Amino acid sequence: MDELSNSENLKGNQVTTLTDNLLLKRIEQGDIASFEAVFHQHYDRVYGLLFRLVGNRAEAEDLTQEVFLKLYNRAFRKRFFKPNREHNISAWLYRVATNAGYNAIRGRQRRWQRDTVLVPGPQGVPAAEKEVEKQEMETAVRAALAQIKPRQAQLLLMRQMDFSYAECAAACNVAPGSVGTLLARAAEAFRQAYGEEIGE
Amino acid sequence: MMNQEKEIQNTIDQLTILEPTPADAPRTAVQALARVRQEIDRREDNRLGNRLGRWVMANNRKYAFSTVLIALLFGVALSFPTVRAAASDFLGLFRVQKFAAISVSPEQIAILQQVAEEGLMPGEVEILQEPGELRPVDSLAQASEEIGIAHIRTLADLPEPDEIWVAEGGNGRFIVDLEGARAIVQATGADPMLLPDSLDGAQVDVTVFAGVQQQWDNGIMLLQTASPEVDYPDDVNPTVLGEALLQALGMNDDEAQRLAQNIDWTSTVLLPIPQDFASFNEVTVDGVSGLALNSISNEGSALFWQKEGIVYLLLGPNESASELVDLAGTLRN
Repeated sequence: MDELSNSENLKGNQVTTLTDNLLLKRIEQGDIASFEAVFHQHYDRVYGLLFRLVGNRAEAEDLTQEVFLKLYNRAFRKRFFKPNREHNISAWLYRVATNAGYNAIRGRQRRWQRDTVLVPGPQGVPAAEKEVEKQEMETAVRAALAQIKPRQAQLLLMRQMDFSYAECAAACNVAPGSVGTLLARAAEAFRQAYGEEIGE
Repeated sequence: MMNQEKEIQNTIDQLTILEPTPADAPRTAVQALARVRQEIDRREDNRLGNRLGRWVMANNRKYAFSTVLIALLFGVALSFPTVRAAASDFLGLFRVQKFAAISVSPEQIAILQQVAEEGLMPGEVEILQEPGELRPVDSLAQASEEIGIAHIRTLADLPEPDEIWVAEGGNGRFIVDLEGARAIVQATGADPMLLPDSLDGAQVDVTVFAGVQQQWDNGIMLLQTASPEVDYPDDVNPTVLGEALLQALGMNDDEAQRLAQNIDWTSTVLLPIPQDFASFNEVTVDGVSGLALNSISNEGSALFWQKEGIVYLLLGPNESASELVDLAGTLRN
């Protein structure tokens, strides 16, 4: 039994990490089933995180695809996932997804600033007004998230998606004990950014 | 403490507005996975290196050098958006007249790849016209007609090429995001402050032109294309950016500063060569100064040079660099 297999008997967080190493090892060896297992395990949540960031189904689906393509490409280059190091696939996926989402919204903001001409919307239709109000609020929340540090946005969104503190800590590469403090700072940064967005 | 938790919860509650509604539900995981696999296949098929690789590998295992080299130069580098953005930035410093090389350690290559994979972006790339995919043509005359190059040169000592491929040109622009660019430079171990504040928002326009690739059954390949045209802001100092590039490729601060001063960054293409892949030296080829690469595992050589505005790449899976130089001496219109 090799070192990686032995480590499956360990308890707690180590099991997850070393199991990820085994999965990566199998993907490296061309085992598509292992890649598919990772995909099925994380697809919904990666999409959920990206949708919250970009707010558009098609774009979130494309970005989700890119995240998994990166995992695939990376796993096939054995030198980048070294077997003597511990890897955490979900942490890597959510970190890469957050970066991809941020790049998308920042790119969109630059294009928007460059290309957009504001046109007043329709007035005086109650149902439409309610919808417009909701959309404005969504836009402001997303814009505020885009203003704060990516790691802070990632923490807030992962907590909103019911990720545990341990999962948040792993994805953001911080000690589990510091997640509470970091969340508090992130919430404060978000509140300030949101206030600026809505002109308070 | 209670207040802090309440504030966090209030923020979390506020974020629920971003949750996807049933109408925003993505395609099923099975459908999405099928799409991912399709995309993997499509990208594999479209890589220039892989196209050549299939042809090359079918003939002789020793041709792996060609495959790896081409994949390195064209396939891998242009496969990832971040690298493509970096490449645009990189090209933005040059008007191609000559080639130089720098040896890069495997460790530094791994760092650069990791930076690329993790999605850090040095700016925004906008492809205005996608460069066309390679397509086969029947003759050099047809190639000339299809891509508008009047005089395509070929190797007189060899018979007619066994395969001829052409590709259209393309153009795009790259707008620098200083924060992202500095983050990348820092991640590679270089000094981010080498990038001046004035770089933020700088626009670099890049045009690449149509090219033609000739292949022979003995594995020799000749590629020629007009030099890319690059427009960049006048206030960008290419020497400072060159110094940052050298540091990012693993050179220490003093060496990078010294070498950066000695390179004409407005006309020299610097090729990063993995040190476990090939050695390199300057050669005189086709009457001009060029760059020769020699496979470390003795699996062939490659030459790069520029003459009269045309960039050439000549690959030989069984040839030494000096044999390729002799062969290049037989080029005719």
